[in-house]
Amino acid sequence: MSSSFEKHQKRKLISSYFSVVLSIALVLFLLGLLGMLILNAQKVSDHFKEQVVVTIYLKDSAKEVETKQLEKSLAMAEYVKSTEYVSREQAAEIMKVENGEDFMDFVGYNPLQNSIDVHLKANFVTSEHLEKISAEALNKDFVEEVTYDNDLVKLMNDNVKKISFWVLLVSGIFTLIAVLLINSSIRLAVYSKRFTIKTMQMVGATKRFIRRPFIWKSIKLGIIGALLALIGMAIVLYYLNKTFVELELLSNPILVGLLFVVVFGLGIIITWISTHFATQRFLNLKTDELYY
Amino acid sequence: MSSPILKLKDASIYQGDNLVLSNVNVEVSKGDFVYLIGKTGTGKSSFMKTLYGDLPLNQGEGHIVDFDLKTLKEKDIPYLRRKLGVVFQDFKLLIDRTINDNLLFVLKATGWKDKTKMTSRIEEVLNKVGMTSKGFKYPHELSGGEQQRIAIARALLNNPELILADEPTGNLDPQTSIEVMEVLQEINKNGNTILMATHDYALLLKYPSKTLKCDNNAVYEVVQRKSQ
Repeated sequence: MSSSFEKHQKRKLISSYFSVVLSIALVLFLLGLLGMLILNAQKVSDHFKEQVVVTIYLKDSAKEVETKQLEKSLAMAEYVKSTEYVSREQAAEIMKVENGEDFMDFVGYNPLQNSIDVHLKANFVTSEHLEKISAEALNKDFVEEVTYDNDLVKLMNDNVKKISFWVLLVSGIFTLIAVLLINSSIRLAVYSKRFTIKTMQMVGATKRFIRRPFIWKSIKLGIIGALLALIGMAIVLYYLNKTFVELELLSNPILVGLLFVVVFGLGIIITWISTHFATQRFLNLKTDELYY
Repeated sequence: MSSPILKLKDASIYQGDNLVLSNVNVEVSKGDFVYLIGKTGTGKSSFMKTLYGDLPLNQGEGHIVDFDLKTLKEKDIPYLRRKLGVVFQDFKLLIDRTINDNLLFVLKATGWKDKTKMTSRIEEVLNKVGMTSKGFKYPHELSGGEQQRIAIARALLNNPELILADEPTGNLDPQTSIEVMEVLQEINKNGNTILMATHDYALLLKYPSKTLKCDNNAVYEVVQRKSQ
């Protein structure tokens, strides 16, 4: 008879959990997006770093075998991403395109040298590494000169450091906000049950026993919130990947998967810890103190 | 009679920093039915709260069902309360679950594991207070008197050595008060010890028993004249 009324009442109550779930979901979603930003900031900076070219100029006297061998050994080295042999004719061709005029017309001959362009892996684009690599190449007697833009490398490394510092700082602040926000929603939910908690203590239940169902309930809410956040992240990732194909957002599925796992884990851990402390707070109060 | 279940010696009872009762000397033996009377604000509730560990006993000695109130540690309080049955003026049932679940919670919280034993125990205590058919209801669906009976049933679950009733009839009309009182008397006859705080003098007259009175920061025994 009254069951439809009761259902209605229950539905109203469920909506109060809804706000907890929603705040958890939104906060974790934001955190996840930030995580994706960090993951891809690395990729973008790597992308730029790998544009740095070390050019090894070869003496005209260098034999083809020697050149080939050097190129091959460079290509095998762990710090090299790719190598490219540029003959003096190709170099002249490139220069012609860049300058818009054929300098050979007034110089009368091709002053350029054969060279090997080396692109390094992002991790190795530091001044120290570049120095080492160039010194190694200069050891070979058929190598004339090794050039690279040291100032550019320094500038890039400095900027990457600066940017990653700020990104980390912002994510730290976001994590703090996440924890505080989830914590306060949970505290309110537990606060509304403070008299129930007291009654449970009055009948001889231990603190642990009382805490357990509260924590379990919050973890369930945390899981739902985290799942919502993950769905949101997946949708954003899908569309970003479609729009910016060149960023290769999904090129490292393990890392993306790890991010999802971390967000999910955060949903559980944050709700767990804050419920623990919220219930503990009321468990430690005397009955009279509940009314303040 | 046998050794006392409750014994206070030169105890002082504080509510916060205020001294409410001093030099309290009380003994309750097994099987007693003891009233604690006094006007509101004379410290009945603080006295009861001290007994079930909601207020600390800092001065004097206090022994209750094998626990020393003076040295009672926070973590021992649940175990003290398992040996007591506490009944409150405002019932304090768990409003978010049915009567059966209320009682089930207490059993689970106090370490019962066997499902069938728990069900039969619940049946048993509900039978004692005459509420067998109401187990599936929520507390708010019951009248005040019925809720109080459930609270008494709850207090009985673990066969407490002492039942502390803090104004159990304070929220009830006279007729219902008598019904609840009958239940308590019945339980007392079965051998349970009961300490009941009340300001309902009509009940005292109807069910005379040993009576303690709180007045002027002291507790003393009242010698009752036989009614009629």
